[in-house]
Amino acid sequence: MSSEIKFFHQNIYSKLFGLLIIFSWLILNYFVLFVTRIDPYQEMAQKIFYFHVPSAWVAGIAYLVVMISGINYLRTKNNYWDYVGYASAEIGTIFCALVLITGPIWATPIWGTSWSWEPRLTTVLIMFLIYLGYFSVRNFGKSLTTIKSISATIGVLAFLNVPIIYFSVKFWAEEVQLHPQPEMMEQPVDIYYTFLFSLIVFFMIYMYLLNYRIHILKIKSKLENILEDY
Amino acid sequence: MIRSLVLKDLLIEIKSKEIISSMIAFGISVILLFAFSFRASPSQVYFFAPGLLWMIFIFISIILLNRIFNLEMENKSYEILFSSPVDKSTIFLSKCISSLIFLIFSQIIITPIFFLFLQINFPENLLFFLIIIFFVDLGICSIGSIISGSIMKIRSNEILLPILFFPMITPLIISAVKSTDLIFNNHPFVDWKIWFQLILSFSVIFLFSGYLLYPHVTNE
Repeated sequence: MSSEIKFFHQNIYSKLFGLLIIFSWLILNYFVLFVTRIDPYQEMAQKIFYFHVPSAWVAGIAYLVVMISGINYLRTKNNYWDYVGYASAEIGTIFCALVLITGPIWATPIWGTSWSWEPRLTTVLIMFLIYLGYFSVRNFGKSLTTIKSISATIGVLAFLNVPIIYFSVKFWAEEVQLHPQPEMMEQPVDIYYTFLFSLIVFFMIYMYLLNYRIHILKIKSKLENILEDY
Repeated sequence: MIRSLVLKDLLIEIKSKEIISSMIAFGISVILLFAFSFRASPSQVYFFAPGLLWMIFIFISIILLNRIFNLEMENKSYEILFSSPVDKSTIFLSKCISSLIFLIFSQIIITPIFFLFLQINFPENLLFFLIIIFFVDLGICSIGSIISGSIMKIRSNEILLPILFFPMITPLIISAVKSTDLIFNNHPFVDWKIWFQLILSFSVIFLFSGYLLYPHVTNE
């Protein structure tokens, strides 16, 4: 068997990276639950911040990667960029879903309502919907080259839309600007470093999943090529 | 070149009359549905009027955008169009302009009927109202043309278009409804300036990105 069709976990680096992520995830949970101080006003509800904010950051980074690889795909028509874009879109949407789940969990006790038309939350929701459309394009299409170009275009258009969506919702519902605007630099040391650590852990998870999905997509296209030959 | 491409679309439409007639028929039926579903006093309807009006415009623009590129699918004429010595960005712009013309034409007919059937008065600042409609239409047609132009070769693209189009235009619709609302209530330009800027930036950004992206999407 050629070395090209190795399983993902047979690669020693990805194995080590996976173990490192599991280890740091456990450490992160320990820090969040037992080391960081409990907020006097929000109590335990504040703890979700260590998962909510990094998810939002990673979703943003993932969608930025979709746009960059979309531009690169349209320019070069190199399949690698399509794999990166598609994989990143999938992961970004999962993290978007996490933001949309953890947001209301936090908001229920703190705001007293599960949903508010707050600009950031709404922007994430609209991005989530746009990317659901992105995946239906990928599912509906037959001809692969067309689908790849279309999804690259949608990735670019979606990211260009982010600032416009944010500002329009911000001006639309000025009375619901409830989202906390914490200054991270002014936070106590334990909160600040745990937050930085959670950002790193989430980013590592993103990198791992991205590598994994790209690997799968490569194998899939290889299989499709083999089937076409028969 | 753009002129002859737009004239081609207009000529097809003058002969067949299928796009505009279906847009107008659909628009009027939606107005009727609205009129029957809210039996409210004209002052209450006036409160909702901007939102209802823009919902009708979005629904008819979906019909328009579905048809405008599917015209080229008949007899596979897109193959001739794409292999002709025309810049593909020019094709995008021509589709944008012809859909803008169709949309404005059907709005000219639908809007008075809307005000008549829902028994509300025409806004006093008619000029501002028309300016807002023009620039929002430009935004709708630019993003609509690029989405519909790229998905035209996918099967069941009629279903995909609204799925992709509706979330994309949310900021445009928020701005359109807000500014129309302020114009209906005779607010000065300063009050809705920010919405006008948002509409303008949306239209310009997507017109340019469509112009730049479209040749790459259709290039196989």
